[in-house]
This record gives sequence, structure tokens and C-alpha cells, in this order.
Amino acid sequence: MIDKIFLNMTRTSALLILFIVAWIFVVLFNESTEAMQAFGLDFITKDEWAPNLDKFGAYAAIFGSVASTFLAMLLAIPIAIGVAIFLSEIAHDKIKGFFGVSVELLAAIPSVIYGMWGLFFFVPILRDIFGGMGIGLLAAGIVLAIMILPFMAAVTRDAMNTTPDILKESAYALGGTQWDVIKDVIIPYAKAGIIGSLILALGRAIGETMAVTFVMGNVHHTPNSIMDPTTSIPVTLANEFTEADSSLYFSSLFGLALTLLIMSFVVIAIAKFYFLRKVRKA
Amino acid sequence: MTAVQKRILINKLALGFSTFSAVIALGFLFWILGVLMMKGIDALNWNIFIYEGSPPGYEDSGLKHALIGQLILVGLATLIGVPLGIMAGTYLSEYGKNSKLAHTIRDISDIMMSAPSIVIGAFVYAIIVMPMGHFSAWAGAIALAIIMIPIILRTTDDMLQLVPGTLREAAFALGAPKYKVIIDVVYRGAKAGILTGVLLGVARVAGETAPLLFTSFNDNFFTTDLNAAMPSLTVTMFNYAISPYDDWQQLGWAAAFILSMFILGLNIVGRLILLAGKRK
Amino acid sequence: MASIIDIKEECALQVRNFDFTYKGAPAPSLKKVTMPIAKHAVTALIGPSGCGKTTLLRAFNRMHDLYPGNKYEGEIEFEGRNILDPKEDLIHLRTKIGMIFQKPTAFPMSIFDNVAYGMRLQGIKNKTELNDRVEKALQDAALWKEVSDRLKNDANGLSGGQQQRLCIARAIAVEPEVLLFDEPTSALDPISTQGIEKLVIELKERVSIIIVTHNMQQAARVSDYTGFMYLGDLIELGHTEELFVTPKEKLTQEYITGKFG
Repeated sequence: MIDKIFLNMTRTSALLILFIVAWIFVVLFNESTEAMQAFGLDFITKDEWAPNLDKFGAYAAIFGSVASTFLAMLLAIPIAIGVAIFLSEIAHDKIKGFFGVSVELLAAIPSVIYGMWGLFFFVPILRDIFGGMGIGLLAAGIVLAIMILPFMAAVTRDAMNTTPDILKESAYALGGTQWDVIKDVIIPYAKAGIIGSLILALGRAIGETMAVTFVMGNVHHTPNSIMDPTTSIPVTLANEFTEADSSLYFSSLFGLALTLLIMSFVVIAIAKFYFLRKVRKA
Repeated sequence: MTAVQKRILINKLALGFSTFSAVIALGFLFWILGVLMMKGIDALNWNIFIYEGSPPGYEDSGLKHALIGQLILVGLATLIGVPLGIMAGTYLSEYGKNSKLAHTIRDISDIMMSAPSIVIGAFVYAIIVMPMGHFSAWAGAIALAIIMIPIILRTTDDMLQLVPGTLREAAFALGAPKYKVIIDVVYRGAKAGILTGVLLGVARVAGETAPLLFTSFNDNFFTTDLNAAMPSLTVTMFNYAISPYDDWQQLGWAAAFILSMFILGLNIVGRLILLAGKRK
Repeated sequence: MASIIDIKEECALQVRNFDFTYKGAPAPSLKKVTMPIAKHAVTALIGPSGCGKTTLLRAFNRMHDLYPGNKYEGEIEFEGRNILDPKEDLIHLRTKIGMIFQKPTAFPMSIFDNVAYGMRLQGIKNKTELNDRVEKALQDAALWKEVSDRLKNDANGLSGGQQQRLCIARAIAVEPEVLLFDEPTSALDPISTQGIEKLVIELKERVSIIIVTHNMQQAARVSDYTGFMYLGDLIELGHTEELFVTPKEKLTQEYITGKFG
């Protein structure tokens, strides 16, 4: 009797997560239908976002999301791999422990703090170097890169650490240098895990709100240069959700949320099921 | 230069680059941490804990409203999210095991763990804030709970699976019903791991700003009304930081410092518990 | 007192008063080991787990240097020099003294690239030379017939026994003087084990071999000399048939008759 109740309680809780996810999709889809009907494909291909004219084209926000994430990846990937190599292969045990834990703890710092640092300390430097406002695509890309770096380095290091010692030793036993072992054994062995980790970090970066909200500018305008202020999907949502004053405006914002959810779902699913699943089998 | 000499040179360059990038990365990260410490400790004083928010320029302004609000929101989210997460994890580990359903649930929660939190905010806005017609602490707490559940679920599932099957069999052999076996034996065996999962889950949602922006919204005053907008450290930090007022920005840094210490503390305690559990 | 026979023939390696201490360990794991290793012969190291046989083996190619903090004392003479000298060129040393591990360690690359790996590290780029030497190494490792039509395939598709022979091919392709075998058959089935043992005996024509094994029958089958180690000491080194039939030390006798271990 109690056994049955217990089973049902746990099963309901487990099913709840599926239900919530489905519900999120349904709600976002329903709420965005008005915008979809009004704009159709123009919603994602036009960049005129004019609430006063009830015109909503999300191209600039989508472009901003993709471009800032791309920039962040470009900057973060080589450094994260370097850090991961340092942590797994170069550093001595004590340093390894200390820096390894530091990196993991830094990954736990709320992203809003990275945004504040970006606004008060990094944007002025960009302004001094490049002129203009300092706020814009480049600032967003860099702050995003720094924010994602600890997570990316930690998971990449974990992927590299799956290489069995004995495999590394046999490359050393043939007269390999440390770098030979890293590039010929560790990276090929952990390839799927490393790529999966990097894409997982990408999935997080694309949905990141607070690190970039401060430094992107929130201007609905497809940037001509990386110094131009622009916007991204999460930035638009964060800034405009509480200001929306018409149902079409709301519907368009929900359309943005749905677009973002689908983008990150696809990216994370690729990382998880295509790359990281392989690792589990091995 | 012989081939071997060349390899040795390349080795030095590559390892040099890796070390250099580690220095760069840690340099940036410690810069941020340093800023947080300096600015935060600088802005810290007793008034922060005594006074509520005030308009810019007032002496006696503080963060009491946001601190309490934060505790209420995170506490409420924990009360909702932890039991659901643990029960769901229990189902996966003890009943679902390798069934298709269990795997689907694991996969979906893995994805949810990295899904954009602002989207959760938009969802809760649509299902709670819009029908109710106003922002509320409940909405914020539910948004945080939705983010928390997959984290708790996955750690519970993993930790329960680490409990050896022979332990379960031993308990069954004494004639205990399954729920008793789970509660008395399995939970007890996985206690440290589950607790760590809970702490890390709490730490994760405590730092979330985006899902609160349009659910619990914000308020500059102290409130305990769960049906009204409720201030939080994160949203307050955000609003104060983008304000043009120096004293508000100061408070923003103080909030950032307090919150970060809280989150780092939870992370460290969580790790220590797990370590202590492993050593046994 | 240890009983170490004098080896009349030429020696590949000479261990003298060798102490080895792991990082942070209070006492050395190997104590004053003195041991000649005959050239072009198979020397087996036997003893109960933890006796230091693998530790000694891994000193010959300075594998312990991968993990900082370990300490060597004494001397291991190879080609007229002490290879424990901190200035020893480890890359060169490891091409001269190769190693085979407890488990097959095929690299995540093709069969061909696995065998060619060590040669490429030495800077050999010439295609014909690589092809010839890969084929020769695979033939010497008795693997050529099985893989000649799929050299481009992933090496991890081979069976365990095939992978271990691949590792042997990879090690002999760089033409080392000495090969170290660290329990090379512990992860293999009896038939693959037979194949590896046969190979070890064939290979001693060209290289000097040291093999660590926990299997006394294996030592008896493949080796010319056997060393028995216990708690970090080399207790006895002798001709294999003598050591197994008429051991000079009481401990050796107890071990080979199965009284402990």
C-alpha cells in the first residue's frame, strides 16, 4: 500500500519534468502565435524592431546572439584548451589542485557579476583603445568569453583526464615529448569529449543574459563592425519584457524566447547526444 | 636542426603557450575576483543589513529588503524544488533504471540544466504573472525551482546508483518493503552525495538573475508578501549597477560581494561534504 | 643475503646498488638492488605483488620521471653510461629501451600510423622507408598476415591479442636495444598469451628482454634468467632452470613451491 503510494509519488515527480518541458514549449508557442501570424518569416529575417509602429523583426537580436557567441567561442576555445592542458598535463599536483578548484569555483560565480565587471572595468578600456562607447558586440563577446571560460576549461580538462595513464605512458615510452603525447594521444583519444564540452559551453553562452546585458547596448540594429552596439535575444528579453505595452509586442518577445530555446536546445542536444554519448560508450 | 631537436622546441613552445593561456585566463578571473573583493568590502557596512533601499543620495540606505527577499525566494524554491528533484531522482535510480522512460527523463533534464534561464522566466511570466495580473514572489520561486529540479534530479539519480545493490538485497532479505529499503538504506547510504547535490543546486539558483527579472520583479522596500513583487539581491544588483548613482552602484557591489561569498561558501561546503563522504 | 649469479656473457644493462623511493614514501621501494641483465637473452622478474618488480622495470626507461618527486640512487649502466644521471636524454633513452604494458595500448589512430608513430617521432618522413619498416615490424610481430589488407583501419578494431602484438611491432619498429615487458599477457586469453610468449622468445635474437610476470610458468617458459624479488630486495638471480629446480635461497624455494605469494 505505502509502497504503491511511494512509487506513484516518485513517478509523478519524474514525469513532471517532461511535462514542464513540454509545457514550456506549448506556452511559448501559443504566446508567440500572434507575432508569427502577423510577421511570418519576416520575424526572423527583418531587423526593424519598432514597438511604436508595432513592427517586430528579430533579425538583429538573432544575429547579435549568434555573433556574440561566435566571438566568445573564438576567443575562449584556444585559451580554454590551453588552460585544460595546463591543468591536466603541465601543472604540478599542488598547483593543479589549487587552480583546478579555483577554476571550478569561478564557474559558480553569478554571471551578473561578470557583467558588472565588464561594464565598470572592461568597457572603459575598450573605449580608450577603440574610441566610441566601448559598449557593443566586441565587449559582449569578450565578457561572454571570460564568463564561459571556467566552465569550458573545467569540462575540457575532465574530458582530457579520461585518457588512461597507460596510453600516455606508451607514447612517452616511444620517446615522445609531452606535446607529442598531448597532440597525438590525449587530444585524439578525448576528441569527442572535448568537442562535446566545447559545444555544451556554446549552448550555455548563447542563452546567457546577465553577462552581456550590461555591455551590449540593447540597440536593435545589425552591427556594421564589432564595435557597434547591438542586442541579442536574451538582452532584448531582459530589457523589454517589463516594458512591453501591446499584445503584439509581448507576442514578439515570446517569439524571441521560443527562438532562443530552440537554438540552445539544438546546440545542447548535439553536444550531449552526438559527442558526449560516444564518450559514455567508450 | 634534427627532427628530435625540432620536436623538443615545438614541445617547449606549445607548453609555453598553454601555460601562458592559463596565466591569461587566471589573470582575468582573479582580476574580476579582486574587483569584487575590493569594491564589495569597501561598500560593506552595518547599515546594509539594517536599512532598506532608499532613493539615491540618502545616508541610511541598505540591502535588508534584498537580502531577506533573496532568502525567501531561494528558500521557497528549495522547498519546492528539492523534494520534487529527490523524488524524481529516486524514481530514475530505483524504479525506472534503464527503461526508455528513465533515459528520456535523464536526457531532457541534462538539456534543461543548460537551457537559457531567461526563457524559464518568460514561461513563468506567461503561466503565473499574466493570469494573476501582477508580479509575485511565488512566480520567482517557481522559476528558480524549475531551474533547480533537473540539477537535484541528476545528482540524486547518480548518487543513489552508487549505493551498492547488495545493500538493497540485504535489506530486502530482511523482509523490508521497497519504500522502507529506499528510505532507510539507500537514502542513508547516499546522504552526503544528495546533500552536496542540494547545496550545489541552491548555489546555482541563488546566482540567477534572468528568471527573476519578470517574475518576482523587484522592489526597493522590505516585504514578506509572497503575492507581491519581491526584491532579490541579483535583480537589485542589476538595477543599482546600471543606475547612474554612485551610492546605488556601491550598494550593487556590496550585494555582489555578499551573494558571491554565499555561493562560494555553499560550493566549498558541498565539496567538503562529498570529500568527507568519500574518505569514509 | 642475496644470491646473484655472475653472468659470463656480455650484459645489456648493469644495475648497481640501486635504491628507488616513491614521492612521499617513508622508505625506499627498492633497496640496494644489484643485477646484471644479459644481452640477447630474456630475463624474467618474478615475486609477489608489491615486491618492486614493476618499479624496477619502469626505472630502466625512467618512466618514473613522468611523476615528479620520485628519487633514484645508485647506478644503472647502459651503453657505457649511467642512465640515472639527471642529464640523461630521456627521449633518446626511450627509443633505445622500449616498453610493452599490462594492457594493449593501441593509440587512437590507424594500424599503420600506430606502428609508424615512433619512427615519425624520430623524423622519418620518407614514404617508402616508412612502408618498408612498418611491414617488417608487423611481420616480426607476427601480425602482418592478419592486418596487411587493412592497415588504414582504426587500431582499436583489433582483438586484444592483436593489439598487444601491434604494440610490440610499434616498439620494435624503432629498433631498440632493450624491450621491457610489464606483465604483457595479464589482460589476454590463453591463446593470445601463447602467441606473445612465442614472440618474446623469437625477439631475443635482436633485443635484450626483461619481462615482469606474476605467472611463474610463464617465466619458466620464456626466460633464460630469472630474478626473484621480495619486499624491494632482489633475493636471487639465476639461470631459469636452476632457479626453479634448485633455488639457492629459502625464500625463493618457498615462493616457487607456492608457500606464499
